[in-house]
Amino acid sequence: MKHRQRIRTITLGAIGIALFLALWELIGIRGWAGLTWPPLSTVLAFLFDPSRRPLFLRAMTASFSMIAFGYAIGLVLGLAAAALGHLVPPLRPGLDRLASIIHAIPTIALAPLFIVLLSRELTGMAIAALGVFFVIYVSATSGLAASSAAHRDLFQVFGTSRLTQLRRLDMPAALPALVSGMKYAVPAAFIGAILGEWFGSSRGLGLLMVSAMQNFQIPLLWSAVLIASTASLLIFGLMSLAERLAYERYR
Amino acid sequence: MSLVPAPVTAIHLDHISKSFTLDGGGTIAALGEVTLKIDKGEFVALLGPSGCGKSTILRLVAALEEPSTGAVTIEGRAPVELSRQHRLGVAFQDHALLPWLTIAQNVALPYQLAGKPVDKARVSALIALVGLAGFEAARPKQLSGGMRQRASIARALVLKPDVLLLDEPFGALDAVTRRQMNVELQRIWSEQRITTLLVTHAVDEALFLADRVVVMTGRPGKILKTVEVPFARPRHPDVTREPRFHELVDELTLALEPAGGHG
Repeated sequence: MKHRQRIRTITLGAIGIALFLALWELIGIRGWAGLTWPPLSTVLAFLFDPSRRPLFLRAMTASFSMIAFGYAIGLVLGLAAAALGHLVPPLRPGLDRLASIIHAIPTIALAPLFIVLLSRELTGMAIAALGVFFVIYVSATSGLAASSAAHRDLFQVFGTSRLTQLRRLDMPAALPALVSGMKYAVPAAFIGAILGEWFGSSRGLGLLMVSAMQNFQIPLLWSAVLIASTASLLIFGLMSLAERLAYERYR
Repeated sequence: MSLVPAPVTAIHLDHISKSFTLDGGGTIAALGEVTLKIDKGEFVALLGPSGCGKSTILRLVAALEEPSTGAVTIEGRAPVELSRQHRLGVAFQDHALLPWLTIAQNVALPYQLAGKPVDKARVSALIALVGLAGFEAARPKQLSGGMRQRASIARALVLKPDVLLLDEPFGALDAVTRRQMNVELQRIWSEQRITTLLVTHAVDEALFLADRVVVMTGRPGKILKTVEVPFARPRHPDVTREPRFHELVDELTLALEPAGGHG
């Protein structure tokens, strides 16, 4: 029953995506949205033209490494802050407030600061790290509090040390919430990194988008957007899979 | 009778009371003054309606709460010392098995919490004792409610605790499974004879399992009466069909009714 339902969900999803792509193609061919909306086939032909492979590969390498580093830094900082707040409860309110304040400041407003403090190249990474940090901190913090009262009582009666409880109860119980957080941090990392590249980085998909836009290179613009969106959706989908496994096993 | 050694007090509740502070600032008395001695190797059932403070007593013995007045001692020491030495075993109504561990890993968990090497032979022997042989690699989600409670009881016993605390361990089970679990727990307990405190609201469960039934009333919780259970061990399930058993069930059921009640 469950299996059949899943197949139905997947089939419906595939039909939805196919309809979306067909509509894209149709609008482009008929020119309903003007010159700036090329058909999907034109974009794909442009994207997969062998002569442009070095261009896209260079941009992807630059962007994806900034996204990956930004994600990793945000993840480590978010986990460390959540663990600190969990193990040293008096620090918790302060950390919560710090995280909310960081989140409340529009990252675009911080970008000029990063450009001055770090460099144009690293600004995207820094913005990505900030976005990821907040999502991870919030999800890890709520995850670390997710163990049930009965489990905590049990561990206490068995005379468990604080660290053993962290390892054997709090961390495994936090995993589902954390993996959800890691999923939602993926788009945050993409937004941060590409936004950062808009501010004058010399490489990356963000630069490609800005320069294509300014030079009216419509297929190039759409190609860069397509690469970024596809990559983000793909990783998001993989994380959803990991999320489902985590919920099945750890809840 | 002269061969029976003098009983040694294992658990001593010495004029304890417990009140909780409410959010609004008021206090509510969960336990009035309660004094109770449980001998080493004795099985005592605390019987009472919900909200009579019987679970509070168990939580005090488990060092999960502190009494407001009076003192709880186990073999002359504070309960928290025993829990730190990993000498308490506990099973709750919520089986509290960890969903990410297998049954064998769950039963072995107390060793890891105590920082001791896992005695694999003892883990499998206990799993067999509670009738879960063959389910070692299963996860809690794959088992029925009764099987999960068996695992939770095996886990409570694995470190050979000095005191076993059972807080309505079968409270969430259906009547048939519950009766079956009582028979099994009786068999297991008769082999180990650990000082045991059982909290329950089921009269027949208390009578079938315990050496002594302590009836409580709420609120604040107080001991109403104590009944010595006369049946020899090991007890056969047929005990529950004896006239004496029915008399005691009637007596305890009557005692549980609200004061002045006639029906």
